[in-house]
Amino acid sequence: MNAPMPHLFAVTPLTRKKQRREQLARAVFFTMALLLVVPLVLIVVYLVVQAWPVLSWEFLTTNPKRGMRAGGIWSALLGTFYLVGFSLLVAAPIGILAAVYLNEYAKDNWFTRLVNLAVINLAAVPSIVHALFGLGAFVIFFGLGKSILAASLTLAIMTMPVIIASTKEALAAVPRSFREACWNVGATRWQTIRHVVLPNSISGILTGVILQVSRAAGETAPIMFTGAVFFKAIEEGNLFAYGLRDQCMALSMHLFTISTQVPDVPHGLPFATAVVLLGTVLFINTLAIILRVWLRSRKKW
Amino acid sequence: MVTMIAAPHIEIENLTVHYGAKPALRNVSLTVQRNEILAIIGPAQSGKTTLLRCLNRTVDHEPTARVTGVVRVDNEDIRQTNNVYDLRRRIGMVAPLPVGLPLTIFDNVAFAPRMAGIRDRAELAQRVERCLRQAALWDEVKDRLHTLGTKLSGGQQQRLTIARALSHEPEILCLDEFSIAIDPVTTMRIEDVLKELRARMTILLVTNLVQQARRLADRTAFLFNGELVELDATEKIFSATPRDRRTYDYTHGVFG
Repeated sequence: MNAPMPHLFAVTPLTRKKQRREQLARAVFFTMALLLVVPLVLIVVYLVVQAWPVLSWEFLTTNPKRGMRAGGIWSALLGTFYLVGFSLLVAAPIGILAAVYLNEYAKDNWFTRLVNLAVINLAAVPSIVHALFGLGAFVIFFGLGKSILAASLTLAIMTMPVIIASTKEALAAVPRSFREACWNVGATRWQTIRHVVLPNSISGILTGVILQVSRAAGETAPIMFTGAVFFKAIEEGNLFAYGLRDQCMALSMHLFTISTQVPDVPHGLPFATAVVLLGTVLFINTLAIILRVWLRSRKKW
Repeated sequence: MVTMIAAPHIEIENLTVHYGAKPALRNVSLTVQRNEILAIIGPAQSGKTTLLRCLNRTVDHEPTARVTGVVRVDNEDIRQTNNVYDLRRRIGMVAPLPVGLPLTIFDNVAFAPRMAGIRDRAELAQRVERCLRQAALWDEVKDRLHTLGTKLSGGQQQRLTIARALSHEPEILCLDEFSIAIDPVTTMRIEDVLKELRARMTILLVTNLVQQARRLADRTAFLFNGELVELDATEKIFSATPRDRRTYDYTHGVFG
C-alpha cells in the first residue's frame, strides 16, 4: 500500500503560523483604532458635561456681558461665520481654479515644478507666519486696517495652498484614459475638464475644501493681528450686524481670552464656548458630507 | 486620355518619434489608399500605437515626445494644422482596453457630436442609434440607453467605444488591438462590421492576430523596433516568402 495522501485541508505548521500572524495584525490595528477613538469620545463627553448648565438658545444669541463673565457668545459666533465664509469665498475659487490649471494645463517644466514645490511648502507654514504676513500686507500695506476683510484674506492665504494641493490630488485620481478618450473624439481640454474630469473629482475637491473650513474656524493666530477683537457688542439677532470693514469677535479667540485673560469667569462658560466652536465645525462638516454623499451617488464609476 | 490614379488617403513620410531619448518610430514612410484596410503588426514596443497617435496628434499630449517628418491626410499636412479638434473628428480611435466614459450609454455615444455643437435631440438620438447599430450593440442596449456605460461587460464596452469612435462620422478608423479584451464571438461580429464600414472609410488595424489580419486586411505592415520592416499584400507578408527575413521569423514564431 502507498502511504495515505495528506488531507487537502490539513492544518500544517505554515497555515497555523499564517493564522497567528493574521490575528496579531488584526489586534494591532484594532488597538490603534481604539486608542484613537477613546480619547476623542472622552474629550467630547467631558466638554458637553461641563458645558451643559450654560448651554441654551439664549447663550447663542446674546452678546457677552459684564466683562465676558456672563451673557452669551452671539458676537463671537457671528464673527466666526463671517470670517470662515469670506475666507472660503476667496480661497475656494482661486485655489480650485489654480489647481485645475496646474494639473490639467501646465506643462511639466521647471517653473511648474517650482510652483508645485512652493504650494506644498506654503501649506506647511505655521499659521502665526501667515498672521504676520496678513498684518503687513492687508492691514498695513493695502490699508484695510484691522477688519473682517483683512482677517478673512489672511485666513484665505493660509487655506489656499492646502486647497490647491488637495484639489490636485482629486483631479489626478481621475484616470488619464478618460481624458484620452475625450481628446480622441475631438473634445478640447476645457470640454474634457467640464464634462468628465470635474464631475468625477468634485467630491474629492469638496473634501479638501471642507477640511479647510474647520481649520479656518479653529485658528486664532491669523485673526488675532488682523481683525479679531477682545470684545465687541453687536445687535443681537441681526445676521448682518457686522460690516466688512468692522472688526469682529471670533469663537476661537473668545475661548482663548475667557480661559486665560479674564479672571473669575464662571466655570461652565469656556466649556460652553468650546462646545459651540466644535458644534459649528461639526455643523459645517455635516453639510459638506451630505453634499458629498449626494454628489458621489451621481458618480458613475 | 488621362488615367486617374487615386490620391492616397494617408501619406506618411520619414516619420520619426522620440519619447525623451528613446526612439519609438524611426523614419517610417508609408501610404494608405482610400477605403483600404491596412493591418499593422509587430511585437510590443515596436511603435504601432505611436503611429496611430501621430495620426490624430494625441502624441502632442505626451510631454516628452518629439516628432519629425510629414503626415498628410487628403494631401493636407496635419502636423501644421492648428485645428487638431477637427482633425480628430475625421479620425475614429479605438483603444486596446475599452474606456467607457463614466456617463450613460447614450451620453457616451452622444459625447462627440455634442462637443462638436450638435444640440438637436432628434438628431442626436438618430445618430446614437445608427452608431450603436454599426457597432453591433444596439439590440443589447436599446432598452437601457440611460444606464451607465461603465456597467456593461467588457465586450459590450469595447463595442461602445467603437460606437463612440464612429459617432463623429470619421473618414479614417484606427483600431488598436481592439479584440484583446473581448470574446471570439464578439470579435467576429465586429469584424463583420468592419467589412461593411470599409465601403465608407479607411481602416488602420493594429493587430497581433495573424488570422484577423488575413481575414480583413488588404495589405499588412510589419513594424519592428520602430522601423517599418515591410509593407506588402497581406498574403505575401504571411506567406513563406516575405521579402524580409525578420518578417518571416515574426509571422512564423521563430523570434527568440
